[in-house]
Amino acid sequence: MVVMIKYTQRIGFILLLFCLLDIRAAQPQEQPPSATVDTLMGESKPSSGNNWWWLMEVDDSRSGALAKTLVIVILLSLLCLVVLLIWILINRNKMQARQIESDRLMEQFESLLFDYLTSEHNEDLYGKIALIAKSDFTRGILINQMHELSKSMSMTMSIGANEEARVQLRELYNHMQLDQDSIRKIYSPKWHIQVKGFRELAFMDVTEANDKIRQALKSKNNILRMEAQLALVRLNENDPFGFLDHLTFPFTLWEQLNVYELIAIHDLPVPHFSRWTTSPNKTVVIFALRMIQVFKQQQAAPQIIECLAHPDKDVRHMAIVVCGEIQLRETLPHLKHMYKNEEYANCLAIVHAMAKMPDEMMLGFLKLVLDKEDNVQLQIESAKAISKMGEEGIAALVKLMKSEYKNYQIIIRHVLDKRIS
Amino acid sequence: MGHIFSDIFFFIVNNVIFILTCFIFTVYLILSAISAVALRSYLRKNSYVDYTSILLAPLTPSISVIAPAHNEERTIIENIRALLSLYYNNYEVIIVNDGSSDNTFKRMVDAYDLERVSYFFDYRIPCERIRGVYKSKNGAFRKLTVIDKVNGGKADALNAGINISKKDLVCCIDVDSIMEPDALLKMVKPFMEETDKKVIGAGGVIRIANSCVIEDGQIQEIRLPKNFLPRVQVLEYTRAFLLARMAWGKLNGLLLISGALGLFDKEVLIKCGGYSTKTVGEDMEIVVRIRRYMVEQKLPYQVVYIPDPLVWTEVPATGKVLGRQRNRWTRGTLETLITHHQLFMNPKYGKFGVLGYSYWFFFEWLAPIMEFLGYLYFIFLLITWSVNWPFFLLLLTFVYTFAVMLSTWAILFEEKTFHKYKSRKEVFQLLGTALLEPFFYHPRTVWWAIRGNFDYLRGVRSWGNMEREGFGKDKKKKKKRRVREAETVQQIKAEQQQLESGKEAP
Repeated sequence: MVVMIKYTQRIGFILLLFCLLDIRAAQPQEQPPSATVDTLMGESKPSSGNNWWWLMEVDDSRSGALAKTLVIVILLSLLCLVVLLIWILINRNKMQARQIESDRLMEQFESLLFDYLTSEHNEDLYGKIALIAKSDFTRGILINQMHELSKSMSMTMSIGANEEARVQLRELYNHMQLDQDSIRKIYSPKWHIQVKGFRELAFMDVTEANDKIRQALKSKNNILRMEAQLALVRLNENDPFGFLDHLTFPFTLWEQLNVYELIAIHDLPVPHFSRWTTSPNKTVVIFALRMIQVFKQQQAAPQIIECLAHPDKDVRHMAIVVCGEIQLRETLPHLKHMYKNEEYANCLAIVHAMAKMPDEMMLGFLKLVLDKEDNVQLQIESAKAISKMGEEGIAALVKLMKSEYKNYQIIIRHVLDKRIS
Repeated sequence: MGHIFSDIFFFIVNNVIFILTCFIFTVYLILSAISAVALRSYLRKNSYVDYTSILLAPLTPSISVIAPAHNEERTIIENIRALLSLYYNNYEVIIVNDGSSDNTFKRMVDAYDLERVSYFFDYRIPCERIRGVYKSKNGAFRKLTVIDKVNGGKADALNAGINISKKDLVCCIDVDSIMEPDALLKMVKPFMEETDKKVIGAGGVIRIANSCVIEDGQIQEIRLPKNFLPRVQVLEYTRAFLLARMAWGKLNGLLLISGALGLFDKEVLIKCGGYSTKTVGEDMEIVVRIRRYMVEQKLPYQVVYIPDPLVWTEVPATGKVLGRQRNRWTRGTLETLITHHQLFMNPKYGKFGVLGYSYWFFFEWLAPIMEFLGYLYFIFLLITWSVNWPFFLLLLTFVYTFAVMLSTWAILFEEKTFHKYKSRKEVFQLLGTALLEPFFYHPRTVWWAIRGNFDYLRGVRSWGNMEREGFGKDKKKKKKRRVREAETVQQIKAEQQQLESGKEAP
């Protein structure tokens, strides 16, 4: 069904009902013959002959006040209408002109920057660029183009060549004092301008304003805080992930993803994430576990095992997942032991983890899960875990298929069908 | 004595209407202001977002896209292809053939080389019997699962899809809608931004695709509908999505996520019992129910609204079909309001009960009834020669200017945000439509709403035939579509052959 728009603009004709208000008040037999706009407007009134004032004829002062209000609202609505219309047209023209100018400048800067990076006569090019980039608008476009160029280079060029180009761009950025523009932005009272400043400084490795950026780590504005964190990961060479030590706000999956992207794409040094598995902030612990999984930090095994006993179920869940993903076989007895006290999602994660690290020792346990659990997903996962145990597992499943006690056939057929999994 | 009573009666009628009107008037202005603030904040916030980071990262939540299909043989092949090409790295597509009586199922089987698999599942949510689950023999379509089931309606088909789903989130869509390729990326973001409040659902802006140029299940060129009815609905949708829903999203009082596209937490849906098959407004009912569930469980939650155009749909182009649609919407609203009557002004449910539910009660259900009574009252006054014409015209002018002003406001929002209609002519056409709407469109919507209430009382529970023109109405387009479909099938076959030859190669 397409949306229930539900006549949001019903207001229009609902207001038509307005029209009914007091329309009865002017019944010819009741209306005093002298009832004219004077009583309505409280001014000298023309008679209700053929002039336009007949529009406002009403029979008492209450309606008169109302009519006055209505006239004002009509005039305001009309005024608004005209203003909005002009606004729409101006905005349209402005946007189009801005877009055209921005496209033109981007193209111009792209070619100049490319020449700047490839040619040896940089002084001439610098002069040309400086000549164009005079206003805040053009300087902003120049920074954007530098960013774009750097991004595209990181995808097409080798790490060494890319780094060299970035150094050149940074020189140009500093030489043209664009860094001062970026620093000015982070002192703006508007958060979205500050964010732009953070991004530019991080991109150009300008550490001058780190203290100011650090202040934003305490901001209640989620976006500002996140952008400050990301900027510091790039700008704080000594301890890029130090902010995790003091993070009291929830570290959302979105923020985690952005930090991960910085590490993975921008080639930042990967820290030992086990450092944060004891953080009082559970979202930081979950992030640390995720990163341990992604970067396969096997050496964090003791900390992961500790997390299996964490009071928070979400942390335990993540720890179970990590055990399976990085194949911490020593945790198998622990996982088995945990099973009976965990809730559904964690039980499922345990069986799933066991499937990731097949071990014949677990066969009995998994058969028990398959046999005793009513939940379909648990049955499927346990059968899947058994099937991954090689010959012994397959033999066990074949034996179960013949069982008359319970119809395992459909489960096992599902598990063995490669098109499904 | 009689004269006094009649005076009292008319005084009450007039004043109730007046107060209600002022109330509605004020609320709309407040909602528009809230939505302006929320929109600005959203646009600023998302101007820095690089959605490709979601695409590349291994941390993203998994999604099942569930699309019920009933007699969709004309477009099903291309629609599935478009769904398989969405930008997201961790999703599956579940097409539910809801007992189609045409060749929908056969065409899917042929085009995607489907074969029945032994799929073990549980009816965690009750639904009609599932006859079989099908997967493609072609590895290129491993994301695709097709369910063949006994007809049970859209809600039932969605429930069947949820039962089969293996992912964390479920995205429920209309198979004939056209999703923006990055829709999943944008919709999943609020789930990833979840803090102390669990995000249980997200919905976005629905746009109208009539007259747009569509190829391979994708919008190639955006155009304003040529006909008046679809065009006036563009205006209506813009007002609803950019003014009202944006504000309700901000207030966390959103009661409706469009059935054309909604992303939900699967476990919450299952715990609530899935979509209700007893209503024709299942999209609104499910949102009310999951919200109610969260409040009753004392779990902090939010339903998020994304003011981005995420899906394109064809709206009815004839009064007959549009009337049926609006009739069904009214019945759906009424069914939901009655089912969840405990929410009415109930502070236990917070803003959701006190504001959200009441808004739907007064503005969406009661308002057209009051309006209709107003018309009748006006006719009565006309017959009895009791109309104060000067005052009437004054009020009419007031109502009209306000209505047009609000529409213009919505057009400005569209211009400042998505700017989808590029030519100035289209903007003027929209403004012209806003001038005509109050006379040539709105009274009809009131009539359809009244008929919806009447049909509800008569016990009508059917959806009604929602025949659409289709995105390829004219002969040329039909021919083109047939050629395209043949090409799609050929392409699929070629892919399969390639895959097979790849397997055979040493």
